[in-house]
Amino acid sequence: MKQSHSHIRPLFISISALLFLSLTGCWSSHEIEEQSLVIGLALDKGKQSSIEKKLNEQGEGYSKRNLITATYQFITPEVASSTTKQAGPQQKSYVNASETGDSNHQIVRELSLRSEQPLTGYHMKVVVISEDLAKSYKLEQLLNQNLRDSEVRLSCLVLISKGKASKTLETKTAGGIPAFRLVGIVENAYRSTRILPPMSYTKVESKIQSESSFLLQNVLSANGEVKFAGAAVIDGKTHTMTGFLNEEELEGITWITGKGKGGVVKSFDKETGQLFVYEIESMKSSIIPRVTGNNISFDVNIESDGRLSENWVLSGNAFESEFLKKAEKSFENEVKRLVGNVIEKMQKEYRVDVAGFGNHLRIENPKVWKKVKKDWDQTFSETPINYHVKLTIKDYGTLGS
Amino acid sequence: MILSPRDQITTPQATVIVINFILGTGLLTLPRSSAEKAHTPDVWISVILGGVIAIIAGVIIVKLGQQFPKKTFYQYINEIVGKWVGGLLNLAIICYFLMTSGFQLRSMAEVIRYFLLQGTPTWAITMTFMWVSLYLIIGGINPIARLFEIILPLTVILFLVVSFMSIKIFEINNLRPVLGEGVIPVLKGVKTTALAFTGPEIMLLLIPFMNQPKKAVKAVLVGVSISLIFYVITVVMVIGALSVDGVAMRTWPTLDLIRSFEVSGLIFERFESLLLVVWIMQIFSTFTITYYAASLGLAQLSKKSIQPFMFGLLPILYIIAMIWKNVNDLFKFGDFIGNFALFLFGLLPLLLLIISRIKGGKYETIT
Repeated sequence: MKQSHSHIRPLFISISALLFLSLTGCWSSHEIEEQSLVIGLALDKGKQSSIEKKLNEQGEGYSKRNLITATYQFITPEVASSTTKQAGPQQKSYVNASETGDSNHQIVRELSLRSEQPLTGYHMKVVVISEDLAKSYKLEQLLNQNLRDSEVRLSCLVLISKGKASKTLETKTAGGIPAFRLVGIVENAYRSTRILPPMSYTKVESKIQSESSFLLQNVLSANGEVKFAGAAVIDGKTHTMTGFLNEEELEGITWITGKGKGGVVKSFDKETGQLFVYEIESMKSSIIPRVTGNNISFDVNIESDGRLSENWVLSGNAFESEFLKKAEKSFENEVKRLVGNVIEKMQKEYRVDVAGFGNHLRIENPKVWKKVKKDWDQTFSETPINYHVKLTIKDYGTLGS
Repeated sequence: MILSPRDQITTPQATVIVINFILGTGLLTLPRSSAEKAHTPDVWISVILGGVIAIIAGVIIVKLGQQFPKKTFYQYINEIVGKWVGGLLNLAIICYFLMTSGFQLRSMAEVIRYFLLQGTPTWAITMTFMWVSLYLIIGGINPIARLFEIILPLTVILFLVVSFMSIKIFEINNLRPVLGEGVIPVLKGVKTTALAFTGPEIMLLLIPFMNQPKKAVKAVLVGVSISLIFYVITVVMVIGALSVDGVAMRTWPTLDLIRSFEVSGLIFERFESLLLVVWIMQIFSTFTITYYAASLGLAQLSKKSIQPFMFGLLPILYIIAMIWKNVNDLFKFGDFIGNFALFLFGLLPLLLLIISRIKGGKYETIT
């Protein structure tokens, strides 16, 4: 026993000494203070920025066709520390860097030639694609690198911008971070029916793979301000953008899908011409496909509960059920108008199904769906759709008149 | 081989070994591999059917083993089919365990290299993994079982927490309609899903180690059922969030599920590292048990001490794992192992059971 002990001891000591080697640190360690965290990305059609032009004038570039301009928004260590130290009010709390090239990945790597801090994509929250880019390239091509990457998470959101996408990543508010602003607006869906449910990479990917048409939120920008305005229509066959739905049309889509969480409906009283407003508390819709022989049609039943939240009809007394009935009727007509309007637009102008009618047919009638799946958007545009709207005013707040 | 009482395991321990063996690479890839084959949202039905098949195969394996409750498959096979055929079959099974071991090792290395430790050389990842495993199996079956008992509850808790977090992006419509395209596509997926349940074959070796060999059927039943629940949850959550079309194009779909959402308000926003922890522990246990099974096989075949084989297999396993050029080769290798298993543990035990029954009651040993 003693002997074996004396054998083991030197071994033990040498192993303990070896353990010190592991104290030198981790193989893959990167100091967080030395990283630039990418939080947003804007993709535009290739157009060199003035800095890039100046750099290029001096020659020594590389061969490229300048297809896209990518603008990366990131938070650098300096910026992060200066905002906590309460720097001057004009201090921006983000950095935007644009680079023009062909491949997304090459563009990122080119940025490493311009900055000493490597970019990391673990915290990317949002991608904005400009209209002209989305019209000329397939979405899966534009997003391919990001969908493949191990850093960029699939929870990243996708938006379309009617103007220049890079402008949506700018702000004049001191301390504001544009990428976070965009993500924050998406969260406001409980306030407005004009915001689509978030379309993350995951959802976009599954829509693309299933070859169905879908919508992406459209965002406008002016003077460092942004606004969510309607949606962009992505065609399921070509995977490119074909057009826009305006705010009202998007509202119609929200009513059809019943996925809205809140918002208002404005309507006018027939007799007095004054307005009243309905605030949505809950919304439900059922899309029922009806198949008889070769004919497909849809019944859409929309139901909603809410309250009368504003009333300019001074003669109207909300304590009287008569008046509420009248208001309900008026709101129902308004919702019907919104729904009818967007159905017309989908069927006549764009000839695509972006409200998920096809999905309901797939679920209810898989056999029929299999037959019409291939040319669904075409079939859909000739399908009769009946819709019924039932709104109920549950209360009218603290004011009766 | 004389078994000391310390080398014995209880029935729950045997169950835990079966579960830990079954859960492995499949936890990350099953939603894709099965959705690819079936192309319908009904993949979860395929998973259940696959589990049932695994249970049947497992019960047959146990029935075969219970005829020789004091011996492992490596020892009793000679009594059924003779020395030569028996030796060949033994080698085949040892090969199978080695290949499974190498496959798991490489899958683990691929995922860690891409998602966790990008700068670390692959050999450094695999080496540490293998050494720890070697250290464990030198202790014999009992320490293995005890470690597995620690790993399993951790797996269950972390896995359930993480997968139910994804409820926010879950859409029931992605799983409908049920049986919309009939049963044919579901059946097409069954082969793939049944192969995800390879693991009950460890019962070929485990029965003599059990202190109550009679309860081996129970161990298989419970073991496969719990794995079945795991797999069904995985497939339902992944397809519910990513849809069948979306799943088919993702390399590691379960990981993508966790990468698709962020939970604000909790201490952590992201949970892929938790899932990877669970998964790596499961890979470790699959790797360890197959490694042990292969060493045991070689030892019993040559009737020599087991330790030299354990050390000797280390470089071989490394080569089996590293020989594949890319992920596609690796997945093909995985498919090959699956087909191999289908023959070895689907058909063979039934055949052997019939032969041994026909040969008569001279082996009928009742304990």
